[in-house]
Amino acid sequence: MSNINRRDFIKITGLSGMAITGFAGIHSLFGKIHPVSTPIDLAVVQNGDPAEMVRKTVEMLGGMEKFVKKGNTVLVKPNIGWDRVPEQAATTNPDVVAEIVRLCKKAGAKKVMVFDRTCNQAKRCYARSQIEKMAKAAGANVSHIYKQKFQKVKIPNGKELKSWEFYRDAINADVVINVPIAKHHSLSRVTLGLKNIMGIIGGERGKIHNHFDVKIVDLNTVIKPQLTIIDAVRILMNNGPQGGSLSDVKQTNTIIAGVDPVAVDAYGATLFDLKPEQLGFLVEASTRGLGNLDLSKLKIEKVNW
Amino acid sequence: MQLARRISQIIFFLFFIVLFFLAAFPYETGIPADLFLRASPLIAIATFLATKKFISTLILALVILVLSVFLGRYFCGWICPLGTTIDLMDRMIGKVKKKYSGVTRRFRAWKFSILIVLLVAALFSLQFVWFFDPIVILTRTFTTTIYPLFTFFIEGVFNLLLGLGVFQDFLFSAYDFLRETILPIEPLFFQKSVLFGLIFFGILSLNLFAKRFWCRYLCPLGALFGFFSSFRLTRGIFTADDKCTDCGRCQRECKMDAINDGYRSYSPIECIECMSCITVCPTDAISYKLTPRFAREKTDVSRRRFIYSAASGLLTLGLVKTGLPGKVTKGNVVRPPGALPEAEFLDRCVRCQECVKICSSTGACLQPAFLESGWEGIWTPRVDARQGYCEYNCNLCGKVCPSGAIHPAEMEKKQKELRIGTAYFDRNRCIPWYRSEDCLVCEEHCPTPKKAIKFDSRQVQLPSGEKKIVKFPYVDEKLCIGCGICVTKCPVEGPGGIFLTNALEQRWDS
Repeated sequence: MSNINRRDFIKITGLSGMAITGFAGIHSLFGKIHPVSTPIDLAVVQNGDPAEMVRKTVEMLGGMEKFVKKGNTVLVKPNIGWDRVPEQAATTNPDVVAEIVRLCKKAGAKKVMVFDRTCNQAKRCYARSQIEKMAKAAGANVSHIYKQKFQKVKIPNGKELKSWEFYRDAINADVVINVPIAKHHSLSRVTLGLKNIMGIIGGERGKIHNHFDVKIVDLNTVIKPQLTIIDAVRILMNNGPQGGSLSDVKQTNTIIAGVDPVAVDAYGATLFDLKPEQLGFLVEASTRGLGNLDLSKLKIEKVNW
Repeated sequence: MQLARRISQIIFFLFFIVLFFLAAFPYETGIPADLFLRASPLIAIATFLATKKFISTLILALVILVLSVFLGRYFCGWICPLGTTIDLMDRMIGKVKKKYSGVTRRFRAWKFSILIVLLVAALFSLQFVWFFDPIVILTRTFTTTIYPLFTFFIEGVFNLLLGLGVFQDFLFSAYDFLRETILPIEPLFFQKSVLFGLIFFGILSLNLFAKRFWCRYLCPLGALFGFFSSFRLTRGIFTADDKCTDCGRCQRECKMDAINDGYRSYSPIECIECMSCITVCPTDAISYKLTPRFAREKTDVSRRRFIYSAASGLLTLGLVKTGLPGKVTKGNVVRPPGALPEAEFLDRCVRCQECVKICSSTGACLQPAFLESGWEGIWTPRVDARQGYCEYNCNLCGKVCPSGAIHPAEMEKKQKELRIGTAYFDRNRCIPWYRSEDCLVCEEHCPTPKKAIKFDSRQVQLPSGEKKIVKFPYVDEKLCIGCGICVTKCPVEGPGGIFLTNALEQRWDS
């Protein structure tokens, strides 16, 4: 250090200051994602083993190779939000997550990441949901998130939100596969794929809760998963989104997969005896062109084992 | 011998660090993280005196104490991790300035005074041994100051390097690795960390005046060992009269100033068996041989000093006990789940912050109190629900409590019966009430299977005349367990739209 003179010192601090400012500056995402065209719009499989159902839905959509190319970095984004066991249906089924990881690996993915911004303490959620253990066994890179990896992103099409923090690894992933669990939610009535995107945003998430329908769609204009797979093996009918009592859990043994995030959620809503039009965030999403909520206009293929 | 002592010190110090890291979620190894605290005879005796009960977890401490009748203050020299830290500090400081040497010997009695004050106060149910116990001091400082400092600096360096904008992928993976190993999952912040840091670094800087200043003149645990050593049945260090050249190096080198003038004898009350004198003696005149020999040594406590100390103990006790417990502040002090009824809780709690440490690895609601529950409750753990919350599936705080101030309650009992308080809405600050907009973040996070936060959907008329349905939350007092997650997660800036008090709390009833 002794041979640094004042001039050098000022130069170095100035430069690093500029670098820091540059890093903290607002990033803008370019639409590098093009929706994959699939033979059908929605694949729905019922009454099978969770992993088998996942394999079947992906196969019906044309196989994982359609979404994941060799050498891709993939984010498989489950819901690991709560410190609950899989039977309580507050977190995505670990078998479903693990199977998707395996399929990605088989399709040639270089790296499959699994993470979520949890509501309870992260280590607890990762462990109790069994997602950490099973996804790791399937070859995933399971990590805990931290604040340095959040980057401010512009939301050019945002109505309420003009920018928000998103997680670096989610932004940089070549492919995002959204794997929510279907649950009751008092504010939005149900939580499915669109709301699951809240697990990759930073900032104070409670602030999303007012004008929720608009804000959640704002966020979904930034990160568009190439594939959404809803875990409805067990769904939470009441006291969501974290439940806690087995009497609120319903065995529906269903997996729903599709490219259009609105369509997948629209079908998911029917599991709760809701019409897609009853859900404000789906109406908002479809009016803003994120997808189609009219199930009658979609090509849906169902398999019941 | 000196080498053996140093190795022992290092091993016990590392063991202390390992136990410190163990006090974190998931805490499944079965090794009690509070082992060092359980080993402190001062904590044990003061807790027995204060509670008038025998607490079985503290039995190890009695074994350690009785051993000193044979081995003197071996604990101070060979085991005590604070002693090791102080030795390290001494090495860094080097020679003490000449003007202080010799002056300080008359301070020796101070530690006995402190011990007497503490024990007399404890006898009358005012426990404040925690201010002075070396194990508590180190555990507390590690929890609230040293570890947070460590993480703060690592994070600072990481942020700085990140700011340079190069090698980001490498930096992130390095940081990932650190977070999986030695860093906490969230950065740590503790109230009072400045105070605890100042006390600790104050103790260390006393070494500028004399080696092991704290151990020689202040430490009441050392005094307790010294008192037992005054009945020592053995002696270890012997000086060969014919070999000694009266050079005085042993006396100058002695960490504890335990070698009497004339260099032929020493005080077993002060000696910590560190063996330095043996190593430094140029003529090998000093040797160590544990030999039975009983001669009662006199401590430096005169009758007058004893009476004065006991009286000041009583005076402190009276001052603290007669303070007015404010109704409002009492209600704001929410204790960890499984805490004993307040009076016994205060008698037992040694303010070691082990519960605060382990809580920081899960819900992070516990913080050391200041004067929220009066002078008596200073530094006790309290729930700060705006900063953190009690994890529904967590009962770890009770598992690391060395003195049983927090009972290690079973999970189901903790979740259903041992509620720590009740949450109340502040409708002036709650979004649906003051802004006529939906929010329900509190309801979403409420962990009880049947939600303790419920809501009414009601129509409101906006200033524009527009009518809309808004969901208004309320607390079901019967179902609320006071975990405080609603308070932590409330998105309102500043004080939340919901707050926690200890109303309807259920303490552990033994």
